[in-house]
Amino acid sequence: MPATASGGARPEEAASPSVSSPSSYCMGTRPEELTARLAAAGRPPVGGCGGGGEEDGEHERVRTLREIKNQIIGNRTKKLQYLRLGAVPAVVAALAEPGVSPAALVQASAAAGSFACGVDDGVRAVLAAGAVGHLTRLLSHPDEKVVDASARALRMIYQSKLAPKFDVNNEKNMEFLLTLLNSENENVTELAANIISHSCDSNTEQLALCAAGVPQRLVNLFGGSMNLRDACLDSMTSIIRNNWEVTSRFALMDHGKALRSIVALIHDRSPRTRLLACLCLIALSHASPSHFQDRQIKTKLILVLLELIEEPGHVGDDAPLALTTLIKDSVELQKQALSTNAVQKLSNHLLANSLESRRAVTILLALAELCSKLEESRSQLMSVQASTLIIDALKHACADIRVAACSCLKNISRSSKVLSAGKLSCDTFIAPLVQLLYDSSTSVQVAALGAISNIAVNLTPRKSILLDSGAVSQLVHLSKSMDPTLRLKAVWALRNIMFLLNPKDKDFILKELTLSTLSSLICDSEHFVQEQTMALVHNLVDGYVDAVNYVIGEDGMILNAISRQLNSAPASGVCIQGMFVLANVAAGGESNKDAVMNILVARRADRIKPSFVVNFLQSKDKQLRVSTLWCILNLIYPKCEASSVRVARLQNAGVISQVKGMVNDPCLDCKLRVRMVLEHCLDNADDGFM
Amino acid sequence: MPVRVVDTATPSSQPSTGQDANAGHPSPPSCSLLSAGRCFAGTQNVSNVQNNEAWKVNVRIHGCDLEQGYLCGTMEALNVPLADTPVVTFWEGEIVDAKNYTFFTGKWEASPEDDIRHWSKFPSFTPLLSQIETDGGKSVDLSNYAHIFMRWKEQYFVNVGVDCGLTIAGFYYVCFSCSDGSISGFYYDPNSSPFQKLELKCTNEKDSGFTFSSYELQ
Repeated sequence: MPATASGGARPEEAASPSVSSPSSYCMGTRPEELTARLAAAGRPPVGGCGGGGEEDGEHERVRTLREIKNQIIGNRTKKLQYLRLGAVPAVVAALAEPGVSPAALVQASAAAGSFACGVDDGVRAVLAAGAVGHLTRLLSHPDEKVVDASARALRMIYQSKLAPKFDVNNEKNMEFLLTLLNSENENVTELAANIISHSCDSNTEQLALCAAGVPQRLVNLFGGSMNLRDACLDSMTSIIRNNWEVTSRFALMDHGKALRSIVALIHDRSPRTRLLACLCLIALSHASPSHFQDRQIKTKLILVLLELIEEPGHVGDDAPLALTTLIKDSVELQKQALSTNAVQKLSNHLLANSLESRRAVTILLALAELCSKLEESRSQLMSVQASTLIIDALKHACADIRVAACSCLKNISRSSKVLSAGKLSCDTFIAPLVQLLYDSSTSVQVAALGAISNIAVNLTPRKSILLDSGAVSQLVHLSKSMDPTLRLKAVWALRNIMFLLNPKDKDFILKELTLSTLSSLICDSEHFVQEQTMALVHNLVDGYVDAVNYVIGEDGMILNAISRQLNSAPASGVCIQGMFVLANVAAGGESNKDAVMNILVARRADRIKPSFVVNFLQSKDKQLRVSTLWCILNLIYPKCEASSVRVARLQNAGVISQVKGMVNDPCLDCKLRVRMVLEHCLDNADDGFM
Repeated sequence: MPVRVVDTATPSSQPSTGQDANAGHPSPPSCSLLSAGRCFAGTQNVSNVQNNEAWKVNVRIHGCDLEQGYLCGTMEALNVPLADTPVVTFWEGEIVDAKNYTFFTGKWEASPEDDIRHWSKFPSFTPLLSQIETDGGKSVDLSNYAHIFMRWKEQYFVNVGVDCGLTIAGFYYVCFSCSDGSISGFYYDPNSSPFQKLELKCTNEKDSGFTFSSYELQ
């Protein structure tokens, strides 16, 4: 979900039907009639009734346009009806006709703007009819009312994502934009701000606008009407978002005065202005943290956003999202939010209101973020009644709410402390989560898998409820999905379930999964899936002899797959987990060690190609070096004749000399394992095994 | 591991030094023997003047976050007198890294003198002592030290009630050897027998090698 509010968008201006002239009372008002009349008005008069006839025709057109406009403002059904009747081209045509009266232009502009407001098909129709060009031309009309109406209509159009981008890198366009921005007409300057919000999203556009002095001009416009100020704030946010250079320049502008003016607006009377000012400062703090270190301002932002949650409408809906963006990935800010009772306030709001709104989604996401790092947040959320509400949210009809609830549970369970307490490992949470694995929405399935993956780590003495919940068969099913994310998350969950599981349950999972599926997953097209599968296998074979036998047996299907992957040198994460599989297998009896040995040092290839193990020992990734050293150590452990034979083979393959070269490895863990390997080599030699 | 509740209360002096976070300090070395899933077994000597006693102890690491200086796990005491079953407790640990935590406890009724007295029981602490006495250990670089010093504090009983006649009021000073995964510790509780020694060995080392398990949270 996007983390920023759509600050520039405003609802369609209230329908204030223009007063119709008395003659309109005798005019038909059915959309069919009006559309036909409008189309006829655009055609040249037939029969030549003189000047008076043209005047009447123009009055007729104004009346028709006004009536259409009055009918469609705020009325989606009517808009769709007129769209079906093909009224839009006729309305837009009125904007382009030579000699059309200002009154008709005003009505046509307003109607075109209204068609573009809130209905995508309306936007498409208006754009297709060429309204943007005509309306833009009308911005320089001598009649101020026409200018106002066309500026308003263009604002409506630019609120839509379907509207074309305005290329500010084009010199002429930039000049035109600056003309609009410098206009004394607030409708026009507001339009300029809207165009910037709509069009500015690349680094070069941001720099071009900054170089043209746009930020300074926008700040100067803060003194205008509330709507203009809001549009300027939104525009400013789009200019600085993710752009360090522009943000730095802005922060230093007028010795920080410009920045302070935005800070001041977080206390504005208008809730919408407060939200937009917060969003602007959040964008600023993310783009250039060094220019935004004032802890007090951040605390104020948190407090303001928490207050805004109580506001009705979009402001209240978007405030939790803004809070989420602000605190994302920052332990410090999450602690600050926690100290202002954020968890309590958000939970209270959720408890006091129904789950039926968009706000429930954004609040749940904010709570999820608060629980992403801090134990105290997790504990607070679990202690209030909100945890019951989260369970309700898991079963909610709206997919977004189900996703948000899963995110909450995923982040609450992102803690070994919470998992040790086992509070989430109960049927109350697990049953609805498992149900979501069958959800029709993939995003819900992915979110549920995230939560289940964490809860699957069973750190309690109790048997995992997940195993009895039927989750395993669905996880196995999802591990074969065409969607790589579903495959990844499903395998990840199975890997975590497998962690320190008893042999009987491991056997159950292995039978559901089958060796052939496991083998396919090891060779999956996505290396993240390969890595989790390798980790799954290394958990499977840890302490479970039968599983080791499966892995080295069955014609070596699994070991061959692992061998292929390690030899093809995929991502280091895959190799690390692969080496831990081999280390665990090598911790078994002689046949296990021989099987691993044959992968590390293929008998025939001894002199042809250096073992991949040597490459792994030379890797920059210390975890790969460590896992490889553990595998080597297990191969030559304990001291015995067979071990000494393996030492000799490793020596011939150049592995031991590589290990010797690592006695001063910069990683202490590696250095210590190197010592262990060399001591074992020496012991085997001393005891006459070599 | 819990110890029996004794009545003699001799509160120690209040700590004078709290935790002093020193940002930018390197973390202790990551050690493959100190990670989630690692198990340890050994004894805790609970001898006092009246009797000579040692309880068998199993420890399992549940989670380890070197960046935050945090780890946690469970401790199981097997032959606890008065207890029908093995007693399992959940503990949380602070890793001394001069960043998140220093050698000075600053809480749990442990004075700096108590701290030094206990840490000094570990031979591997001796080379660090002078520096700790000079600046409280702020400049000690433990990132390449083959021992990891920790405090383990039991938080709650997992399988028995608080009325089990045992206490978990104290905490452990712990020294972990990165070389072989052995653990030494001393239990500290002003109200319990002093210097109860904990000695554990890594049990993931089987006859034929070491084994590994891991989980990853999302």
